[in-house]
Amino acid sequence: MPVLGGATDITTATPGHHGNHCIKAKSQSFTMFHISSQKKFWTFDNEESLEQLRYEANQKYRNKMFASGKPGVSDALFLEAHEENVLFRHYEKRLLDFCNAFKPVMPKSVVGTAIMYFRRFYLNNSLMEYHPRTIMRICAYLSCKVDEFNVSSTQFVGNLVQESAAGQERALEQILEYELLLIQQLNFHLVVHTPYRPMEGLLIDLKTRYPLLENPESLRKSVDDFLTRATLTDSGLLFPPSQIALTAILNSASRAGLSMESYLTECMGLKEDKETLLKMYDAMRRIKSLMKKYELPKPDEVNAYKVKLERVHADFGTNSNAKRKRGYEDDDHVAKEPRMTEEEWTDEDLDLDEL
Amino acid sequence: MDDQGCPRCKTTKYRNPSLKLMVNVCGHTLCESCVDMLFVRGSGNCVQCDTPLRKSNFRVQLFEDPAIDKEVEIRKKVLKIYNKRDFDFSSLREYNDYLERVEEIVYNLTNNLEVEGTKQIMEAYQRENRDTIQKNKAKLTREQEELEELLLLEQQGNEQRRLETLQEEQRQLQAKRKSKQALLDELERSHVPATILLAQHKDRAAQLETQIEKQKQVVKTTIFSTGIPMGQTVSLLSVARLEEDLYLYQPIHIHTYGPPVPELEQLGRLGYLNHVRTAQPQDMAGGYNSGLACHRAIQDAFSGLFPPLG
Repeated sequence: MPVLGGATDITTATPGHHGNHCIKAKSQSFTMFHISSQKKFWTFDNEESLEQLRYEANQKYRNKMFASGKPGVSDALFLEAHEENVLFRHYEKRLLDFCNAFKPVMPKSVVGTAIMYFRRFYLNNSLMEYHPRTIMRICAYLSCKVDEFNVSSTQFVGNLVQESAAGQERALEQILEYELLLIQQLNFHLVVHTPYRPMEGLLIDLKTRYPLLENPESLRKSVDDFLTRATLTDSGLLFPPSQIALTAILNSASRAGLSMESYLTECMGLKEDKETLLKMYDAMRRIKSLMKKYELPKPDEVNAYKVKLERVHADFGTNSNAKRKRGYEDDDHVAKEPRMTEEEWTDEDLDLDEL
Repeated sequence: MDDQGCPRCKTTKYRNPSLKLMVNVCGHTLCESCVDMLFVRGSGNCVQCDTPLRKSNFRVQLFEDPAIDKEVEIRKKVLKIYNKRDFDFSSLREYNDYLERVEEIVYNLTNNLEVEGTKQIMEAYQRENRDTIQKNKAKLTREQEELEELLLLEQQGNEQRRLETLQEEQRQLQAKRKSKQALLDELERSHVPATILLAQHKDRAAQLETQIEKQKQVVKTTIFSTGIPMGQTVSLLSVARLEEDLYLYQPIHIHTYGPPVPELEQLGRLGYLNHVRTAQPQDMAGGYNSGLACHRAIQDAFSGLFPPLG
C-alpha cells in the first residue's frame, strides 16, 4: 500500500520505490475497506463484545492451566481481565514509543498496523500466555513486512537499543519463532486499513469542494494527533477508518472554532437523509468518548501487575529459547493440531465394520 | 530397465538387453531364461520368498518396479468383481466410500496384510451382488464393442484415404508420362517446327499442373462437420423449440457504504488535482499520474463513511 507523507504529498518523497504501486488504485475493489477482511471479521458492534472476548481469552487461559494439572496453580496467581488491560495499555504505549523512535523513520500507517495487530492478538489471547514484550516486537516486524516498509531483520533488531548484540540476535530468533503464531492468531487477515489515507482524502475533498473552510492544512497537526491517540483506543476495532478520520477532522475544526456543519449536509449530500446523519453523529460521539476514556496506566499498578505477569511466565510459561530452537514442530499452536485431526479422519473412514 | 538385473543369474540381463523380466503373483522378478530353467516342470517356488508358483502365472514386466505389476494384476482381478460405476450410486459420498473400500482391498492384497480377511470380504461382496456384477459386465462388454467399432471405422477411413492418395499420384505420373510420349511422337511425325511443338508441350504441361492442383484442392468431402453424411435427406419437420431463461448480464454492484466517488477521469476537471502533489517526470515514466493517488485517497476517505442502514 502506498505510504502517505506530509503537506500536500500523497506519495512519499522518493517516488522511485513507492510510486508504482499506486497503480493498484485502478482495480478499486480489491483494496478497499468496504470489502476488506477488516470490515467483515475485525469490526465489532460495541465495546461490550470486545470486553467479552477479552474476558473469554483470560478464562480460557485459566481453564487451560487448571486442566493441565501443573503444580502450584491457583486463582490468585493469575491476572484478572481488567488487570491485563492495564498491562496491555502499558505495553501498547511502549510499542508506540518503539515505532516512533525507529530508524529509519517508520511511516504512520506501519505504526498503525503494528498497534492494530497487537490489539487484535490480545483480543483472543491472554497476556499471561504470550508475553507482550515479545509479541510487541513481532507486531512491529510483521507490520513492516506487510506494509512494504523494507527493513532488514538485522536493521530491525538494531533498533532494540537496550540489548547487546547477542541480545539482539536472541531477540531476532524469538521474533522469527513467533511470527507464524502471530499471523495465525490474526486469522491470516494481514491487511489493516488505518485512518491516515482517508484523512488525506478528506483533506483533499475539503480543499476541492468546501471553500467555506479556508485552510484545511492548518488542521493537519491536530488531526494527526487525534488519530495517533485514536489508535491507542478500541476505535479501530469498532468503526471504519474513514469515520475515525472524519471525526478527527470535525473535532479539530470545532476546537479551532471553525464551523463545518454544512460539509456533511451539502457536500456529502446528507441534507435529506436525517437517519444517516444522526447515526454518523452518534458514531463520532462514541469515538470521542472512547478517546476521553483512555488514560495512561498508572505506574504503581503497572509494576504490581508486571510482577504477577513475570511470575506466571516464569512458573508456567512453556517458553524457553533452547527448547524452541528448531521451532515449529514443538509449538502446539502452529502445526500439530491440523495434522492430528487429519489422521483422525482417515482412521475413521478406514473402519471396515461399515462393510 | 538396464539397471535392474535378474535376481538369480544377475549378469545375463546386462549382457542381453533384449531379455525380458517376468513378474509373478508374489511380486518378484525373474528373467525369461531363468523362468524356463526353474519352472521346467510347470511349478516351483519363488527364489526370494519361497511361495509356490506356477509358470503360467508369469507375465512380462511392464513397469520398473515389480510391485506395481503385482498391484496392477491384483487390481484387475478385484475390479472384475467390484465393477460398479459412478451412476450406480445415489450420492457422491457413497461412491467415494465404495472406491475407498476397493482401494483398501487392493492395498491389503498387494502388501500381504490380512489376506484371508480381505478374500472373505471379497467373496461376501461377490455373493451379495452377483446380479449387479453380471449386469455391469454386460454393460462393459457392450461399451468395449462400441469403442472397437469406432476404432475400426477410423482405421478403415485412414486406409481409404491412403489408397486414394496413392491412386492419385499414380494417375498424375501416368498423365505426365503420356504427355512426354505424345511430345516425342509429335516431334517424330509432325511437320511443325520443333520450337513450336516444345512451346505447345509446355502449355499442356502447365495446364496439367493446374488441373492437378485444382483436384488436390477439391477436398473429397463426404460428410459435413456436424456428422451428417452428404446426400442424406434431412427431415424438414420443425425442431422442438427449447425455451429457457436467457442469461441477462447484471453489472457488479459493490456497496461502498459511503458517498459516491468521482471517476478517475473527472478528477482534473473537478479540481481535485490542484490539491495533490504534481507528478515528477520520473514518476510519469513508470505510468504514474497524480490522478491515481488522488483517486485512491478519495476512495479510501469515502469507503465505509456512512453507517449501514437498518
